[in-house]
Amino acid sequence: MSPIDWAVLVLWLLFTIFYGLYKARGKATTESYLLAGKTMPWYAMGLSIMATQASAITFISTTGQSYVDGMRFVQFYFGLPLAMVVLSLTAVPLFHRAKVYTAYEYLEQRFDRKTRFLVSAVFLLQRGLGAGLALYAPAVVLSIVLGWPETVTTVVMGTLVIAYTTLGGIKAVTWSDVQQMVVIFAGLLVAVVMAVISLPAQVSFMDAIYLAGAANKLNAVVTQFDWDDRYNLWSGLIGGAFLAMAYFGTDQSQVQRYLTGRSIAQSRLSLIFNAVAKIPMQFFILFIGTMVFVFFNFERPPVLFQPADHKKIQSHAAYGELDSRFQAAYDQRKQAALEYLNARRNGDLAGQRAPLGAYRAAQERIVDARAEAARLAGGTNDTNYIFLSFVINYLPAGVVGLIIAVIFAAAMSTISGEINSLATVTIMDLYRPIKASQAADSHLLWASRAATVFWGLYAVLFAGVGRRLGSLIEAVNIVGSLFYGGMLGMFVLAFFFPAVRARGAFAGVLAGEAAIFYCFLFTKISFLWYNVIGCLVVIAVALLISGASRPALSVARR
Amino acid sequence: MTDRPPWAPDDDPPPFLGTWPRVYAAVVIYLALLIVLFSLFSRSFSPGAGAGG
Repeated sequence: MSPIDWAVLVLWLLFTIFYGLYKARGKATTESYLLAGKTMPWYAMGLSIMATQASAITFISTTGQSYVDGMRFVQFYFGLPLAMVVLSLTAVPLFHRAKVYTAYEYLEQRFDRKTRFLVSAVFLLQRGLGAGLALYAPAVVLSIVLGWPETVTTVVMGTLVIAYTTLGGIKAVTWSDVQQMVVIFAGLLVAVVMAVISLPAQVSFMDAIYLAGAANKLNAVVTQFDWDDRYNLWSGLIGGAFLAMAYFGTDQSQVQRYLTGRSIAQSRLSLIFNAVAKIPMQFFILFIGTMVFVFFNFERPPVLFQPADHKKIQSHAAYGELDSRFQAAYDQRKQAALEYLNARRNGDLAGQRAPLGAYRAAQERIVDARAEAARLAGGTNDTNYIFLSFVINYLPAGVVGLIIAVIFAAAMSTISGEINSLATVTIMDLYRPIKASQAADSHLLWASRAATVFWGLYAVLFAGVGRRLGSLIEAVNIVGSLFYGGMLGMFVLAFFFPAVRARGAFAGVLAGEAAIFYCFLFTKISFLWYNVIGCLVVIAVALLISGASRPALSVARR
Repeated sequence: MTDRPPWAPDDDPPPFLGTWPRVYAAVVIYLALLIVLFSLFSRSFSPGAGAGG
């Protein structure tokens, strides 16, 4: 990075930390530290919800996934607006009126303390791991940029986030998120503009879109149904809706955002804002990945984007032949791309067929060569390095600093939100009921700060898990899907089935989790369906045990 | 659990479209439109099925 990039990055880092702390100034109480004193406007909550979900993984991994697999990942978000509507109708008014700090506190009011402890423990387990993964992604960025080991960068990033989250609480987290989302939107706009203007002079923006289409990268809607296919319209609408309901309705890292709202309407608006903005934002991020793909049609990419793995295979005996094959396929693809675009511009339909076929054949040879290189490197997955490779090697000074700042913004907003919610659940759902039911407010405030530091350190330790997983965005979603189905089932029982009692709900969630782990370990069913299966098993078993059969909606209207 | 807390005196109406059901309906229509637009976008620029990866 150039000095200008460093200046942009360091100034932005300092500004975001001090801005959050400035907004959180004043005397702290446990309620102001964990719920911002219920004073937050809808736009701050909405942007904070978005920022917490849009981690660094979103930018690093989603763009790479689009490069490799096209835009079909956008379907993953199709169920999100439906989930926002359901949650606005149910969870938001229920949580607000129950006067809770956490979603799991509501479960004790509805069922019993044992249920609250079980779901809280599941949340701590899976979100703690998620926080580790969210921390690992920006550590990858720094390790490439600075040439430092990933362990060092993980510790540096973790320390920064722990500092401002511990000092400022949820107010600092939320207001930092707002400012971070502004930087993220600006950075996204700059990234797509830079990707397009970096194309050769003879390739227009429309040409780039046609080439992405020719390589089948614009597959944003796949209507064919397949249980094993991760991303299609149906898994997105149904599986995605269940996952989003579970994430935004039962995951404290999200619930806590809209619990800070000054009214039910303000909290609802924050979710509706996400329902409207999330899909276009993801579409835009995936589109950047396709433009990077087109860019590398005219600029030879490395066989592997992961620098260390690329260096490793260069000393392999088979590399020379592999690289020649890759180079030849790249030359053929570039030539075919130019011929195809010429024929298209001239309106020569018949003349497009041959170069289109050659383009796709060369693309397949490139994919094969990359797969072989990955095997030589020991089965590596370089998806997370594609976008970074483009940014660092091809974008001008200043812009590199801005994009790296965007990735930091996304990472910090996610991790701060997660460790803040982990601390809240630890103190409010476990520590206070078990050990400190009569404790003074100042004691709980101190304990919340200590828990924030603890979970920050835990995330740093578990960041190492990220190294052994492939595409990080999928890893996070898969880890979440192992637990969300059970948690969602529990809350559906709480909201809609008043006849179900604690014993049935507890047994139901254990059965639901067993069903999910069976699917994960012994079937090829896509992870998006785990939430649907888990939720339905929880409800069925709970109803069976409780001897209840008739759902009632009256609870939701209390 | 059923009493109203001081910070949520009532379920206020949304600042646009008058009622919450109308807002929810608008979100569903918006989603349907997005899917149709994305589908048209994919088909307009993709000349038949091609190589993945």
